[in-house]
Amino acid sequence: MNYLYFLYIEFLAKHNIPQLFGDITFYVIPCCIIFAALLIVVLALVLFERKLLGWFTQRKGPNRVGFWGLLQTLADAFKLLCKENITPKGADRFLFNLAPIIIFVPVMVALGLIPYSSEFTFMNFQTNLLIFIVIGAMPVLSILLAGWASNNKYSLFGAMRSVSQILAYELPIAFVILSVAVLASSLNLSQITLAQSSAKGIFGWFGIPCFIGFVIMFICVIAELNRCPFDLPEAESELICGYNTEYSGMRFAIFYLSEYALLFANALLLAVLFLGGYLSPFGKYLSPMIFPPEIGSILVYFEQAFWLFAKSFLIIFVIIWIRATLPRLAAFDLLKFSWACLLPLSILNLFLMVILKYLTGGGYV
Amino acid sequence: MFKDIKYLILSMLTVFKHLFKKPVTLEYPEKRNIPPENFRGKPVVENCKCCGICTRVCPSGAITIDKENKVFKIDLKKCIFCGNCAYYCPHGAIKMSKEYELGTKEKEALVLNYKIGGADERN
Amino acid sequence: MSKLKLNLGPQHPSTHGVLRLILELDGEKIISCEPDVGYLHRGMEKMAEKLTYIQYLPLVDRIDYLAGFFYSELLCRTVEKALEIELSPRVKAIRVLLLELNRIASHLLWIGAFLMDLGAVSPFFYAFREREIILQYFEKISGQRMMNNYFVFGGVRRDIGYLEDVENFLKILPDKVNDYEKLITENPIFLQRTKGKGVLDKKTAFNFAITGVNLRASGVSLDFRKGDYLYKDFEFTPVVLEEGDSWARYKARVMEIRESAKIAAQALEILKREKSIEQTLINPLTLKLPEGEYFQEIEAPRGLASIYVKSTGDSKPYRLKWRTGSYYSVNLLRKILKGAYLNDAIAISGSLDIILPEVDK
Repeated sequence: MNYLYFLYIEFLAKHNIPQLFGDITFYVIPCCIIFAALLIVVLALVLFERKLLGWFTQRKGPNRVGFWGLLQTLADAFKLLCKENITPKGADRFLFNLAPIIIFVPVMVALGLIPYSSEFTFMNFQTNLLIFIVIGAMPVLSILLAGWASNNKYSLFGAMRSVSQILAYELPIAFVILSVAVLASSLNLSQITLAQSSAKGIFGWFGIPCFIGFVIMFICVIAELNRCPFDLPEAESELICGYNTEYSGMRFAIFYLSEYALLFANALLLAVLFLGGYLSPFGKYLSPMIFPPEIGSILVYFEQAFWLFAKSFLIIFVIIWIRATLPRLAAFDLLKFSWACLLPLSILNLFLMVILKYLTGGGYV
Repeated sequence: MFKDIKYLILSMLTVFKHLFKKPVTLEYPEKRNIPPENFRGKPVVENCKCCGICTRVCPSGAITIDKENKVFKIDLKKCIFCGNCAYYCPHGAIKMSKEYELGTKEKEALVLNYKIGGADERN
Repeated sequence: MSKLKLNLGPQHPSTHGVLRLILELDGEKIISCEPDVGYLHRGMEKMAEKLTYIQYLPLVDRIDYLAGFFYSELLCRTVEKALEIELSPRVKAIRVLLLELNRIASHLLWIGAFLMDLGAVSPFFYAFREREIILQYFEKISGQRMMNNYFVFGGVRRDIGYLEDVENFLKILPDKVNDYEKLITENPIFLQRTKGKGVLDKKTAFNFAITGVNLRASGVSLDFRKGDYLYKDFEFTPVVLEEGDSWARYKARVMEIRESAKIAAQALEILKREKSIEQTLINPLTLKLPEGEYFQEIEAPRGLASIYVKSTGDSKPYRLKWRTGSYYSVNLLRKILKGAYLNDAIAISGSLDIILPEVDK
């Protein structure tokens, strides 16, 4: 990041712009980039999911708007934009309008914490991982607000279920993350990524020693995202649409899109923690081998981002696959599953990782 | 526990299998199913002899025969396409055609007027 | 203890139509359930008094749009019994074939809808894929997909054809049902949602006059196809399961699909053997039922369906009443949902295979 920062300051100095301006704007630019990229990724993700669900069920998926249905999500978003925003009678107006705003902020912050390539992390703190976890659980606040403010019994049920679900599934996540932190001896996502680098490529990833943790984290992430089979807060056949039953127009679109943004952010986190982040699965980057060195040394960064995105999309693919297959869990089974199965397993996993770390003499691999 | 995981994986693989199968859906306006031979679409009348049996078997009263003006009227707003009239017509004058896209903007177009004893004519 | 009153329906994604359940909840636990029916009332019974039998026949398909053949069969049978018309073996075989195909289609749709209630997406489309084959076959022979109006008094509209379609379908069906079973039957989440949920014991089932698959899944071997004159020459065993929970009702329906496929295959054999179709043609203008009361029953996909006709010797019935299976299942919700949780309630009411046009008539 420092490298980019100096490049930027240098660029500004050339054009006689004071450094103060650069200091301030340097942190604004990434936000804009994130926001633009996020919108594109989310729109693509919605299409990706609909296409995949279509293919899983022997349909074609959206293929009318634009070539191959590429503009479908855009058209949907535009349609929602044109629709009337209805605030139901008896709803708490202020909270009702506040909820969709709150949900989008944590996602953006969370995306800024991810190391996209070795030189490209928007916010590189020492405790990146911890911040991510804290922020990643924040959307539940918005869901609770939305459910409470809607003045609808179904919404309230959805919100309550969501809160109990998050409470149950945050704890196993914490233990799994601790075990990863033990393996990498760091809470910084960049350093966790680097700790997974080895000449053997795929065998250096934490997903292999910490496989139990990976599976637990995967399940918990699905639960945290309120996705099938843990989509109780918005179980459409029970609670109609759960917490966003009463939302319409753009407010609903924000809920809908933020869900996908969160999905993307969490998939990125999973990829960083267990699948080696931006590291190449072959142990070496391919671009310096294919291209001449002067281009290759720059293309490496893009290749790193490519690997990260490929891994996260693989994770998203599996999540959608699960959605296509499994029925929804019952509310009480869901809590039982977390407290009685996932939590003990995650603690066991932590023990195993500590022992592994001890045996390998402080450095795994 | 292991049995559960086994069945979970089995069911996931069953779904995965379908990823490579050909879609079964038809993209409607471009491609469409050809209506079968006995399809019950828009009723068509030819060579009516004014016996009136069709009006008596029609469940919804969609058919009226105006003997004076020699007009055979079928109100498609009322018609339920049951095919009773075509089945019970002793002269085989009423036939169910294969036409089924009958949506229109004008109400009047949904009342079919057939001339009795002449070439059929639509209002 | 404060109670929460929740209005489930009439517009709700999982009530399969317009059923309204007034639930009293304690948390998510249901204290009492009051079903409110009648949102889809079309006056099917009153309408019969104004229409001749021939006019009424096409409307009967609409009582249960997923199993229309059964209700036309009932009305046809009443008239045939009253006028003492004998059906030829080919006509009987045609009717059995179509009834069983219709039963398969109805159960397939139920599997899809039930799994949709539970939150699984794919089985819905897979089941519809197979149902589509049946519906297209119906369209080929009768002219429409669901409102077939194919049976007439004394026979069928026209001779059946396209038998190779049915043959091909019956060939692929077991594989497809195996696919569903792989996907659903032993799925741990599905088991959790259905095993031991909504248990219906024999006594309650009898008290609430439950029939059909729901009763057979509770361990009572009562299948009205046994003893039905159409099914006299067919060999089949009624599916009976002991558990009486949602899972048993699911399993019983899957098994019944296989059983129905066997009956349909037997009917195909007869159709290949008996080539001549002899039908008694009825003059539509002079059809009158002799004075008296008539009662007929048949095993429909959603339980016993029966018809009662009182005739004064006119061309129109004096009174006509239907008994439909779903109506009793809706009544059962009052009892069976008590003490269940909200998300189980959806699964239980889904497993009973309630279809609202049949309830409201």
